[in-house]
Amino acid sequence: MKFFEIVGSAMPSLLQGLLKTLEITAVSLVFATMIGLLLCMMQLSNSKVLGVIARIYVDCMRGLPVMVLSFFIYFGVAQALSIRISSDVASVMTLALNAGAYLSEIFRGGIQAVNIGQMEAARSLGLPYGRAMRKVILPQAIRIVIPSMVNQFIITLKDTSILSIIGMVELTQSGKLIIARNFKSFEIWLTVGVIYIVVITILSRVSRMIERRMAVGNR
Amino acid sequence: MATVKVEAKNLQKSFGMLDVLQGIDLEVTEGEVVCMIGPSGSGKSTFLRCLNRLEEPTGGQVIVDGFDIMDKKSDINKIRENIGMVFQQFNLFPHLSVTENIMMAPVDRKKMDKAAAAQKAQQLLKKVGLSDKADAYPAQLSGGQQQRVAIARALAMEPDIMLFDEPTSALDPEMVGEVLAVMQQLAKDGMTMIVVTHEMGFAREVSDRVVFMDGGVVVEVGTPEEIFGHPREQRTIDFLNKVL
Repeated sequence: MKFFEIVGSAMPSLLQGLLKTLEITAVSLVFATMIGLLLCMMQLSNSKVLGVIARIYVDCMRGLPVMVLSFFIYFGVAQALSIRISSDVASVMTLALNAGAYLSEIFRGGIQAVNIGQMEAARSLGLPYGRAMRKVILPQAIRIVIPSMVNQFIITLKDTSILSIIGMVELTQSGKLIIARNFKSFEIWLTVGVIYIVVITILSRVSRMIERRMAVGNR
Repeated sequence: MATVKVEAKNLQKSFGMLDVLQGIDLEVTEGEVVCMIGPSGSGKSTFLRCLNRLEEPTGGQVIVDGFDIMDKKSDINKIRENIGMVFQQFNLFPHLSVTENIMMAPVDRKKMDKAAAAQKAQQLLKKVGLSDKADAYPAQLSGGQQQRVAIARALAMEPDIMLFDEPTSALDPEMVGEVLAVMQQLAKDGMTMIVVTHEMGFAREVSDRVVFMDGGVVVEVGTPEEIFGHPREQRTIDFLNKVL
C-alpha cells in the first residue's frame, strides 16, 4: 500500500519529467536528421573536400562521450563566448550533433545498400540524378534504414538522462529530485526505469508496424 | 541512304591501367539490328554502356541522333530518353508494381498524366504478353517475366534506339525463348537495336549485322551469313568453334 502511495505522489513530477525528455528528444532528432542528411549528401557528393569534412565531423562526434560534449557546450562554449546557454539549448545541441553523426552513417549505409543497377536503370530512362535518387533510391533506402534509425532514436532518448548533469529536469533528474526529498530510492528508481522501458517499447512497436506497412512489394 | 542513329568514332575506355576499349568505330543505321558477340571481357558490355554514357568514354566520340553525348551542350538526360536500355539483371524497381515501373519515366519526364500512362503501360504489357501481371510486384515474377517488364518499361519512353546488355544471360534456360521472342518482334517492328548477347541463334537469325569483339577491338563485322558462314579472321573462327 505504501509503495503505491509513494509512486502515486511522485507520478505528476515524473510525468512532467517524461514530457521534457520526449520534447528534448523530438527536437534533437529533427535537427539530428537534418544534420545526418546533410553529412550523408556531403559524403556521397563528388567533392573530396566536402567528403573529408563530413568524415572528420563523424569521427569527432563518435569519439566524444555525450557527457563531455554537453560540458563542452554548456560550460566551455558559454565561457569562451561569454554567453549563457540554457540547459535546454545545450541539451538539444549536444544530442543533435551527436546523433546527427550516427544517423549520417546509417543513411549512407542505406543508400549504398541499394543495388547500383537501380540507379543505372533510372538514369537510362532519362531521369536526372536527383530525380533518380528521390523516386528510386531513397524509397528503397528508407526501408533498409528504418530499424537502425529507430535504434538511434532510442539511444538518443536514453542519452537525455545524461543531460541531467547539466541541470536539465528531464525524467531522470525529476527522479533524483524526488528522492532528495523523500529518500525512497527503490520505489522511485524502479518507477523511472519502468517508464523508460514502457515508452521505448511503445516506440519499437510503432516502428515495427511502420516497417511492416512499408514492406509491400518487397515480399 | 538510311539515317545513322548511333555512331562511335575511335571510342576508347580505360579503367585505370586497363584499356577495355581500344578505339571502336561503328555506325548503326535506322531500323538496323546489330548483335555484338565475343568472349567475356572483350569489352562488348562496356561499349554498350558508353553509348548512353552509363560509362564515361575516355576517348573518341559517340554520336546519337546527331548529338555528341560528351558535348557539354547536349542534355544527356534528354538523349537517354531516346535510348532504351535493358540490363542483364533486369533492374526493375522492387518497391513499385509492374504498372508503376512502366509509368514512372513517362509521368516524371514527359509529364504524361497518370491515366494515360497507365493505359500505355497496359498496351505495352499486352505487347510483351503480360497483361495479367499489371498489379504484380517484381519479386512475384519469374526472371523471364521480369525481363519482359523491363523491356516494356524501356519502351514506355518511346525510344527509337534500344540497347540490350546480355538480356538473357541471367535467365533459366526455359525462359530465354520468351524474352528473345519479344525482342524478335521488336526487331520486326523496325526498332534500331544493339544487342550484346551470347545467344548465337538469335544473332544469326535476327540481326542485320554481327560485330565480333575481342580484347577491346572490333575484330570483324559482317552479315550473320558472313560471320557464321565464312568468318575471315582466325580469332572469330576460334571463338565460334568454342561456342557453337
